[in-house]
Amino acid sequence: MTNRILCAGILLLMSPAAQPQDLGRGRAWVSMVPAALTNIDRGQPGTVNLQFRVARGFHINSNQPKQDYLKKTELKLDAPTDIVIGRITYPPGQDRSFPFAPKDKLSVYSGDFEVGVTVRPLHGVLPTKYAIHGVLKYQACDNAACYPPKQLPVTFEVKVLKGQGPRKKNPAQSPHAHS
Amino acid sequence: MKRDPIILIVVAMVISIMLVFGIRRVHHAGVVPPGKLQGKAAPDFSLPSTTGQTMKLSDFQGKAVLLNFWATWCEPCKVEMPWFVDLQKKYGPQGLQVVGVAMDDASPKDIAAFAQKMGVNYPILIGKEEVGAQYGGIDYLPSTFYISRDGKIIEHAFGLVSRSEIEANIEKALGQQVATK
Repeated sequence: MTNRILCAGILLLMSPAAQPQDLGRGRAWVSMVPAALTNIDRGQPGTVNLQFRVARGFHINSNQPKQDYLKKTELKLDAPTDIVIGRITYPPGQDRSFPFAPKDKLSVYSGDFEVGVTVRPLHGVLPTKYAIHGVLKYQACDNAACYPPKQLPVTFEVKVLKGQGPRKKNPAQSPHAHS
Repeated sequence: MKRDPIILIVVAMVISIMLVFGIRRVHHAGVVPPGKLQGKAAPDFSLPSTTGQTMKLSDFQGKAVLLNFWATWCEPCKVEMPWFVDLQKKYGPQGLQVVGVAMDDASPKDIAAFAQKMGVNYPILIGKEEVGAQYGGIDYLPSTFYISRDGKIIEHAFGLVSRSEIEANIEKALGQQVATK
């Protein structure tokens, strides 16, 4: 009897019919692969590559959609003091047409894609680990419907190393040096 | 009767999780599941239109209403809009009113410009989350509700459907024939 109740409970919980209104709301269409810790020297720029995965059967607009009314995919980051976020490099979108508009091409990401983030710790920063937080803004569609814009929380860590410290000028090598 | 305490603990945990999920769903911003709206009176609302007027759903009492939730960033929604224009022309004289509700964060000016570019010949209202919640939360765009002349939701469709399906639902809303599925 107890086993039957247990099985019925688990089946009810797992049943798609149990959560029809939750299909869109609260669901994430994009996930982030946990990023490996990246070592970066103080004062030097380093690149952190963030891997994202779009759920099978869905697509999101690229960072440069072909129409300005479409929501572009965009990474927004908040860095700790003395850590500078530089250029964010997005992959080019895949030009694809979909059953809802077979003649049109949309610039999209599907499957896996990678975003590169240039991080530069300032010279004075304490050499240790730093967590950088942000969000990936995106808007997903499938072959027949679109879903409201979402923000995926993004977190990654960088380890700031002492490095060589700030370079000192060698007047002997300077073309502008005057003796 | 001897009971295995591990099984009892697991059963208690499953029941607790189900209760938590159930409570969360019931309290989710007052959202009514769309399936439960079928056959019920369409929730009335009052929204500003792109022309600056405030419109209520009840303003269209006595008409069959095709209530279409859409957004400028929704490509499948764009496919349906020219169909709605044609169908408004075809069935308008028989009592159809197409009403678009933009669930968009674009400005009313941009929404109006987009609708004009699409040649829309029916009112476009600027949507609000609360109105979306009244209609099940609008998790998918396009989402279309078909409302009969007596103000009841007789059909709904999520995502892009065929023009013939839309037309069959309009005829059903107008009471001309019962569409067979």
